[in-house]
Formats: sequence, C-alpha cells, structure tokens
Amino acid sequence: MTANDRTAVEGASNIYDLGYRRYDGVRLGRWWAVLALYRESLRGAFGLGRSTAAKVAPLVLIGIALVPALIQLAVGALVPADLEIIRASEYYGGIKYILALYCGVVAPDIAGRDQRNRSLTLYFTRAISRTDYALGKLAAMTTAMLLITLVPQVLLFAGNALSTQDFGGYLADEWTQVAPIFGSALVGSLLIASIGVAIAALTPQRAFATAGIIVAFILPIIVAGILVFEIDADATRYAVFISPLDVLDGFTAWMFGEPAATDTAVHEAGFALWAYAVVGLAVSALASLLLIRRYGTVQA
Amino acid sequence: MNGVILGLTLRLLVRQRRTLLLVILAALPVALALIFRLTGGSMDTNPDFAAGIMAHFIVALVLPLTALVVGTAALGQELEDGTFVYLVAKPLPRWRVVLAKVLAAWIVVAGVVVPSVVLAGVVILGGFQGERLIPAFVVAVLAGSLAYAALFLSLSVRFGRALIIGLAYVFVWEALISQFITGVRFLSVRAYTLGIAEAISDSPSRLLEVSLGATPAVILLALVCVGATAYAIRRLGGYQMSERV
Amino acid sequence: MTTPTIEVSGVSRWYGNVVAVNDVSFEIRPGITGLLGPNGAGKSTLLHMMAGFLQPSSGEVRVLGEASWRNAELYRRMGIVLEREAVYGGLTGYEFVLLNARLQGLADPHDATMRALDLVEMGPAKDRRTGGYSKGMKQRIKVAAAIVHDPEVLLLDEPFNGADPRQRLHMMDMLRRMAAEGRTVVFSSHILEEMERLGDGVLVIVAGRLAASGDFRAIRRLMTDRPHSFSVASTDNRGLARALVGDPAVAGVQFQDGHLVVRSDDFGRFTVQAPRLAREAGITITEIAPLDESLESVFEYLVQR
Repeated sequence: MTANDRTAVEGASNIYDLGYRRYDGVRLGRWWAVLALYRESLRGAFGLGRSTAAKVAPLVLIGIALVPALIQLAVGALVPADLEIIRASEYYGGIKYILALYCGVVAPDIAGRDQRNRSLTLYFTRAISRTDYALGKLAAMTTAMLLITLVPQVLLFAGNALSTQDFGGYLADEWTQVAPIFGSALVGSLLIASIGVAIAALTPQRAFATAGIIVAFILPIIVAGILVFEIDADATRYAVFISPLDVLDGFTAWMFGEPAATDTAVHEAGFALWAYAVVGLAVSALASLLLIRRYGTVQA
Repeated sequence: MNGVILGLTLRLLVRQRRTLLLVILAALPVALALIFRLTGGSMDTNPDFAAGIMAHFIVALVLPLTALVVGTAALGQELEDGTFVYLVAKPLPRWRVVLAKVLAAWIVVAGVVVPSVVLAGVVILGGFQGERLIPAFVVAVLAGSLAYAALFLSLSVRFGRALIIGLAYVFVWEALISQFITGVRFLSVRAYTLGIAEAISDSPSRLLEVSLGATPAVILLALVCVGATAYAIRRLGGYQMSERV
Repeated sequence: MTTPTIEVSGVSRWYGNVVAVNDVSFEIRPGITGLLGPNGAGKSTLLHMMAGFLQPSSGEVRVLGEASWRNAELYRRMGIVLEREAVYGGLTGYEFVLLNARLQGLADPHDATMRALDLVEMGPAKDRRTGGYSKGMKQRIKVAAAIVHDPEVLLLDEPFNGADPRQRLHMMDMLRRMAAEGRTVVFSSHILEEMERLGDGVLVIVAGRLAASGDFRAIRRLMTDRPHSFSVASTDNRGLARALVGDPAVAGVQFQDGHLVVRSDDFGRFTVQAPRLAREAGITITEIAPLDESLESVFEYLVQR
C-alpha cells in the first residue's frame, strides 16, 4: 500500500474476527421472566398486537358490565331523589353472567394460546419454572378479571361521589366502602380467574375451553338454584357452595357488612356470610394447585 | 341421505369423549329429580317442579348445549381436520351428505336428551296421572333436537368458530335477550320447543313467559330445520379447499 | 391425436391481491406428468383446480372432457391424494379404504379394498387404526383409498413427502405401472430426483406461471441463451483443447482433473464439430458427456428467469 492510498476509514486496514460471541452482560433474574410472561399474556388477551376483532370481545363485555353503573349514575344525575338502582354489594350478582362470559372469552387466550402455538417449549426452556409459568398466567388472568370487577365499582363509587354536591362529605360518609370494593374485587377476580385458567389450561382448543368455562360457572348457578330454591331441604342448602358466582355474592355481601340480596340463593340458603369467604379462598387455592399441577405435567 | 355417511358420522360422534360429558350433563336433571323425591318432594308439595325442570333445565340448558356440541362436530370436525375431502371427492350429491349428517346429529342429540326427559319425568311424577308432561316434552325435545342440530350444523359449515357463536346464541340471545324483549321471542328455537310442549301438555304451570301457539311454533321450527339444512347444502356445493395449508 | 385427458386453458387463480396461478394453459395426456416448481409456485393450486376443489378465477379446467368444478360424477373416474389431508384416525386401514369404496358406490367394495391394499402393500397393517400409522403408511393408505375405484385419472400432491427411499421406489413403480395401463397420472413435487426418474413429461411452474413444458432434456436444448457444458476426455487433452478453441461453436475450455470441460453456445454445431476436429488433429476422444442436462440445471435456469 502506498502513501497515496486514501480511504475514508481511519487507521490501518483490518479484518475483524467476529465468530461466535457470548453474552456477558447483565442477566435479569427469574422475576423479570415472570413479569415478561405476565405482560405478554395480558397483551395477547386484549388483542394488542393482533387484529381489531380480537380486541372487540373483551372490551365489549367490559362495556356491558359498566351498564348498571352508568344507569345508576344517570338516574342519580337526573332524578333528585336518592334512588338506588344497584348497590355496590350486589353489583356482581347483577352482572354474574357477564363475568362468566368474559372469563370464558379471555381465559383461553391467556392460558391456551401457548399450547395452540406450541410455544410452551420456548417458555419451559427458559429461566422460568413451570410453577412460575402457572402463577404468572394466574396473575395475568386475575388482572384481566380485575378490569371487569373493579372498574365498574370504582366508576359507581366515583360517579356517586361526584354527583352529590358535597364530594368531601360523601367521601367521609362512604369511605368504609372503599376497602370492601377493592377486597371483593380482588378475591372475586382471583376466584373466577383461578377456575377459568385451570379449565383453559386443559385444552388448546379455544372453543372447548370457552364452552367448558361458561358451563362451569353457569351450570352450578342453575343447579344450586334448583336445589336451594325448589327442593329447599336442609341438606340441599349446601348446594349453594358449588356455584362460584353465588359464593362471590356471599363474600361480597360479607365484606360490605350487609345481608345478601333477598332474591339470591345465598339469602335463601341462610348460611353465615363469612363461610363464603372461606369457601372462596379455598376454591381459589384448589384451582391454583390444579393449574400448577397441570402445567407441571403437560407435555411441552 | 346416505347410509354409509350416516353410519360413519354416528360412529364418530358417539366415540368422542365429549359425548360422555354430555351424557353426564343429561343425567343431572335425573339426579336432581331423585334428590327432589328423596327429600320428600312430590307433585302434591311442589306441582311446578316437574315442568320447571323439564322446561328450564332440560330444554333451556341440556338440549341446546348437547345439540351445540354434537351439531358443530357432525360436519365441523371433518371440515376442520381436512377429512372432509373424502366425502366431497365422491360421486355423491351434496344434499345426501348434509342430510345424512343432520340425521346423525339428530339421532345422537335426541338419544341423549329424550331419556333424560323420560327418566326425570318418571322419577318426579311417580304414579301421577294427568298433565301429559312426559309425552309433551318428548315430542318437543324430538322436534327441538332436529331444529337445533340443523341450526348448529349449518352454522359450523359457515363459521370455523361455530361453537362460540352457538354459545353466544344460547347464553346471550336465548337466555337473556329474547326473554326480555317480547318482539323477538319468535326468533328462538327454545321458544318453539316450549311452545310445542305447552300445546301438548295439560299442565297449569306456565312454561313460557309469553305463550306461543302450537301452529306458529311448529311452522317456525320447521322453517328453521329446512332453512338451515338448505343453507348448509348450498354452502357446501361451492366448497373450496383453502390454499393456506 | 387422442384428446387430452386434462385441459387447462387460460387459467388464473387469485386471492385478493395475490395471484397464485397466472394465465396457465397446458394439456396432459395419459402417462405420468410431473408438476415441478419451488414451494409456493402454484402447483398445489393447479392440482386443486384439476381436482375440482377450487374454482379458477378465470379460464377453464377440463378433465376427461368435462369441467372439473362442481362435477360430482367425475369423481368416479378420478382419484385424488392431497398433501394435507388427515385420515380418519379412529378407523382401521381396511375400514378407511372400505369407506371410500362404499362411498364410490362400488358393487363389490370388499374385493376392491383388498386389491387396493395389496397394491400399496398395506395388507399386513390393514387392521390397525390409521391413527397409529407412520407418515409413510398414512400416505400409502391414502393412495389405496384414491385408487380403490380404479380411476382413469390420478392426481397426487407431493406424494413422496415423508416417504423413505424404499417406499418412494415402491410408489414410483406403482405409478409407472398404472401409467403403463393407460391411466393419466399427475403428481407434483419440488424434489428433482423424483421428477427425473418418474416424469415422462414435466410442467415447470414458477411464480404462478408455466415456465416450461415437455421432456426436460428437450427443454434443456431449448435453453439457447445458456451455454451447454460437456466433459471431454481424450488421448491428448491439450491438443484437443487447441483444436476446439479455434471453432466458433466453442465458448470456453477448461482443464479439470484430467479431462476438459468445454462450454458451447451452439449445441448442434458442437456435436458435429467436436469429433471432426479431433479426427483432423489425430486425437481420439475417449469420453464425451453432457454435464448440465440434469433437471437441476434446467430448473435453476427457469426459476431465475
């Protein structure tokens, strides 16, 4: 090379040996892996990153769940008298079918899609144990349920507060409602979510998971209804505990410190309301264990 | 109709694990009936119970769910896994194929739900004469099975997601909307089925919120059967293999 | 000239904006014809249209003189083996072929089934459930189901996919025999060896268009804008090279491993000139062979055009 060789690159010419490179940087831990799983599951469930059609169903159902709250607010705004269309403690009873449908639509997206796409192997060969995976999915589903259980209640509460002339006064009177709102939403979401994901994890086929979940929630309502109302014997009153959505009614009422609504199976069965909280937590725990077991044994 | 396809479909439907779950579902009303009797209930203490179980449990829940699972599988399964091509690449007119499938679905659905009606009825009614509940509901379920089977089968020909759409139809449309909006009660297979039952039975219990006469019920039900089957035939006539393998 | 079994005239097929088959016309006669092309070229689409499973967006597909679309009766004389199909897993091999025989309305389905099973050598496994078959076995049982009614036309989409060499040879034999009996066999493949061994005629489909048709060696000779390569060995390679370079038919000469690689633009002239030039120079040619008449080189060329 002569001195007349002018190139744009500084320094002597070189051939760089790239070859196989190792990653020596920071590796975030297990917790981050679970968080990533959680985030991706939620995104997928609400159709972010997919077509518009995938976004429609969950959002429409949340919209429908808001309707009672909106009606109450509209009435409260238009009618001067203190008319109560729907109480916070009875909200879930009113939208119980919507909750079941919503779970049936969202759970298969959260829990079944990885099996459908056969991407389970990808997850299980990373820094995330099978149990972590199961719990991550459960957390994602619970968060999804919180959207439909918490948002309407908060809307109702805030709306009521804003529609009175005395916002501060309303808060002072009603602040005892806040804890039960969050508490019942949380436990309720956990209960429904754990059952939903446990069922959804059983099959990669969306349609069967949806059908199974909807039947799992609605069939017990009907059966318990028949056993408690129609047959009405001492022994059959216990049937109310087989229906998760009735159990939800029960412990919601307990948390709000109010009696159950008069036309519900909970009221008819006449058990102490704290029993529903115990059953609710027990069922959630059982469903979660089944979920962990399912993901522990499923072939990736 | 084609005997070979009928036999094949019956065999495929009965063999599935889902059918076992449906049988368990259909056994629930019978179990409830037994509990009812064991706890001292009878037509004297609770005259509405029999009609209630038949109308609001068997017809409103067991029948449509069974028909949904069986009806969407009868043809939909083959469309989905690609074995349908064996039925289509044959010197067989499509209407024969569809009719055989509808018939097979009908037989399986009725075969599951009718015994449920009969057994639950016998348990609850005991020796009670009158009201003609069992014959009424057997006929109604036979008719309703055909209508639902045809409806869901034709749905599965058009949509891959027929099961979900059918679920929405049963649990949103039939369970909620058509109950509350009287204008559309005529658009519900459940209403036709109950209308037929109500016309035949002699029971004082109200089966339907609003009555639907026998003639309209039968006509509309027949329309559903014929219309759904005809649609399925037409749609399959132009069946094309998807390029996206 | 006999009427062609399959006539495809000006056929196109599009899906929205994507054109899968673009104005293709050809005729197929009895014998074995191969549809060759890279993946996604439109071979399956064409086969589906011939089989009556897909409607052409324009143009017409006629099989045995009749339109193939919406023609259920035609299936009495046509057998089809598609790539994607699953089989009825719950049935045994025998039951599956029998089902097809009965649906074809055969007078004696059992005999036909046994014959078909023998042809594909699935006799021993016939009473096992097809769900438990290996991929090759499933393929063979599908072929049995397609030939049980003794069809005149047999269409196969990628029939050798997943077959091991022995099964492939066996199926090729079977197809050759069927073609020798006067049937029309059309199969698609993207594997060149299969095509070379089997196809009497080949249709090359590239990006939805018919790139070439006919015997592949003849196609090669038609490719005049590409020089042919020959391997020539002789008693005096360097001397022969000197003699050949002087001729306008020779585009280049290369020394390689004790023989010459000669490139020529003019196949005809070269084949005449090479021996003459050698004799004039007193050199004996011990070996002369074309290097690139393989289907592979034909294919490469056509795909790149």
